[in-house]
Amino acid sequence: MIAGAWICLAAPLAGALLITLAGTSISRRTAAWISTLSVFTAFGGAVASFVGLLGREREEREAVTTAWTWLGTQNFDVGLSLLVDPLSVTMMLIVSGVGGLIVLYSVGYMDGDPEERRYFAYMALFVFSMLLLVQSANFLLLLVGWGLVGLASYLLIGFWHERPEAVAAAKKAFVMNVFGDATMALAFFAIIWQTGTLDFQAAFEGADGMSQTLVNLVALGLLGGAVAKSAQIPLHTWLPDAMEGPTPVSALIHAATMVTAGVYLIVRAHPIFELAPSISDLAAGLGAVTLLAAGLIALVQTDIKRVIAYSTMSQIGYMFLGAGLGAYGNGMFHLMTHAFFKALLFMAAGLVIHHLAGEQDIRKMSGVRHAMPRTFAAFLVGSLALVGIPPLSGFFSKDSILASAIASGGYGQLLFAAGLLGALLTGLYTFRLLFVVFLGPPSELVKAHQQGHGHGEGPWTMTLPVAVLAVLAVVGGWIQIAGVWHPFGEWLDPIAVGREHLALVEPTVMQDYVTSALAVGLGLLGIWAAWAFYGASRRRVVPRAALVRETLEHKLWFDELYDAIFFRPAVLLTRALRRSVEEPLIGGSIEGVSLGARNAGGAVGEAQTGYLRSYALAIAAGVAILVVVFVSVQ
Amino acid sequence: MGNVLVWAIWLLAATACLGSGLAVVTFRNPFFSALALIGNLGSLAVLFLLASAEFLAAAQVLVYAGAVMVMFLFVIAYLGDRTPGAFTGGGPSWVSIGAVVAAAALLVEIVVVIGLAAGDRLTDAAEVERSFGSPAEIGRLFLTDHLLAFEITSIVLLIAAVGGVVLGTRSRAEDEEEAARARA
Amino acid sequence: MRGPDPSWYLVLSAFLFSIGVAGVLLRRSPLIVLLSLEIMLNASNLALITFARLHGGHDGQIFALAVMAVAAAEVVVGLGLIVAIARRHLDLDVDRLRVLRG
Repeated sequence: MIAGAWICLAAPLAGALLITLAGTSISRRTAAWISTLSVFTAFGGAVASFVGLLGREREEREAVTTAWTWLGTQNFDVGLSLLVDPLSVTMMLIVSGVGGLIVLYSVGYMDGDPEERRYFAYMALFVFSMLLLVQSANFLLLLVGWGLVGLASYLLIGFWHERPEAVAAAKKAFVMNVFGDATMALAFFAIIWQTGTLDFQAAFEGADGMSQTLVNLVALGLLGGAVAKSAQIPLHTWLPDAMEGPTPVSALIHAATMVTAGVYLIVRAHPIFELAPSISDLAAGLGAVTLLAAGLIALVQTDIKRVIAYSTMSQIGYMFLGAGLGAYGNGMFHLMTHAFFKALLFMAAGLVIHHLAGEQDIRKMSGVRHAMPRTFAAFLVGSLALVGIPPLSGFFSKDSILASAIASGGYGQLLFAAGLLGALLTGLYTFRLLFVVFLGPPSELVKAHQQGHGHGEGPWTMTLPVAVLAVLAVVGGWIQIAGVWHPFGEWLDPIAVGREHLALVEPTVMQDYVTSALAVGLGLLGIWAAWAFYGASRRRVVPRAALVRETLEHKLWFDELYDAIFFRPAVLLTRALRRSVEEPLIGGSIEGVSLGARNAGGAVGEAQTGYLRSYALAIAAGVAILVVVFVSVQ
Repeated sequence: MGNVLVWAIWLLAATACLGSGLAVVTFRNPFFSALALIGNLGSLAVLFLLASAEFLAAAQVLVYAGAVMVMFLFVIAYLGDRTPGAFTGGGPSWVSIGAVVAAAALLVEIVVVIGLAAGDRLTDAAEVERSFGSPAEIGRLFLTDHLLAFEITSIVLLIAAVGGVVLGTRSRAEDEEEAARARA
Repeated sequence: MRGPDPSWYLVLSAFLFSIGVAGVLLRRSPLIVLLSLEIMLNASNLALITFARLHGGHDGQIFALAVMAVAAAEVVVGLGLIVAIARRHLDLDVDRLRVLRG
């Protein structure tokens, strides 16, 4: 079990190193397969850990293994420690499993790209970083993994670095994430100051002794990092831009794994969040706001990937909502099912993009169903799962969160309403996308590409993962059915620190059923509305009301706001500093030093006259002085 | 009586020494300067004798006045009218003033400062035997106490001889240049 | 010691030395400069002899003999230089020989 955990962590790192060191001496194909195999090996390690953990008693399902003490000082030390417990193993399985499928998909998607090796090295690096994040047993190692996934995200978003939009998007993602890293670091300082350690167990126990303000600040710092990494409002503007990266990157990093790291953090650090109820409520509130805003913005997007990106943002809002309310098990459940169907949607979209030679504008696409029937089926499965139609997976996970919301009192009911509205919006934008792209007569673009492809809808490396994920999207939810059986929830229970059950709220069976009925009903209503607007008569893809459209198209003006608040003042400040400080003082002083040295050298050089007699005179004068010195200094 | 004689000889030799020294520095014609230097060396030899350095006096006359000055005179003769006679005129004036000042300063310094510091120790000469400066004595010391100095001095002389030869040989290019100049 | 005591010799040596310094600094012909240099060396020789006589030890005389030998060597080299310069038809004027100006 422990060995499994180490293999899980080390395999992708080894893959990345191997590809990097081999350079161009291996073929691009080989690099791709090395990467894929290393991630699947990690999955094998994760399965081994899972099995090992299953074999233990419920209370003993936790093991910390330390390779060595990484940072050791007198009263504070941090080890290279991995934690194997139900939560980390769940994440390991999701990351390495879905990750493996996506890397396999990339083998086909990225085929022919001249810099394939770099891509696969980065993908392996990312998987390693994400695994490090979820497997770490202390906050410091988690922060290391956190930073590394940010780095991998930056590298992969900007993979096609000849495109300035990609480079700009990568920078934007990185800078916003760094903000989150900073707040997290501050929270860690507070934890060290108060408890003297960063190990999870010890830190959580020590957190009990913190004052309310301090624990609020710590929770706020952690929430800042989670919000940045998971692209929730207000640190969300980087996620749509991140779609500049290749589609598998969007599937892996910006749907299934990295953006869920925030949710993982909240669940892992739940003792701290439980001690700071106002911050937990804030987290839930931010989740609700995000899920609504993202859903609205998704309605006007015309790029196929951006619709799915906003959908991701919205669904993570659901997860934050659940985690903020204390329904940790349900939040994680939705994380898992979302990984399945969101990756599926991205990959199916990738098949469409690949078929249409890179076109991503949905206004140019229609009737793709005829050219790619199986992709259509996969996309349909993913969409139904996303909207939460039974018996697909999304139904079970999303509705459990909503049920927890209504069981949480007044504030919870407000969030519940938001969640229901979000379900309506989800149905609307998801099926808008499906109907616009796949239904109707084939567009010009689609007809042009119809003749080109002879090998079906894509190579097996691309269609197999899609098929696997489609199956998972269907059956993945059957692992927890509200009110009937809860193996998933019970599996995660042991990570509750000092309590019997992990979830703070337990909805009643009646609440579960009512919620499910309402949610499904609203989802179907959304689908019907989509059909009315976009399906049969193919009306405008974008709504007509100008102000609404403008606001939504500008993504609620967040980018403009940040530009005015942060970017412009920073530019003004740097310009002013350059004029008044750098050029005169620093540049001037350097020039001054060099000029001074040259002048001094020139002055001294005057003594080199070449006259023999002046030299002799100098010697004579020197001797005269020296005689006096020698004689007077006895 | 003997003391008075010694004093007289000393004064005569000292005057000759200083006078010939001034002559060396002031004469325009280098030939005369060289001759004045020979006189200087001779008077110094007399002074050496008075200070019980007999062998050195002989060496001074033989080596210095005999060999070195003859070499000087040879070179002066060779150079003929190529030697300039001009004094300091034409060069930077501050050098001349500085030179005089420096020389005067040195003089004053040496006399006054050293005199002040060690004046009373410089008047009582030690008692020495008659063979103080004899060749036997010097020779014995050179081969026993100061053997290293002896050997190194001979090496220096060897190097100087080699250097002199090197500086003195004419190269082929110079020969041709000389011939061309003569034809022109 | 009969005659003047050693301090007189030393004063004479100082005068001679200064005359030599003046000659080195004031004359433009390298030959005269060399001659003045010889005067300086002889002045120091005189001082050495005097000190030998003063202390009753022979070291000063040995030193003076070594100085004489080295002075001879130096004259050889110096005259060789002067001859070489003359052969290249350069001015024998220390103020003109300024190639080492820097």
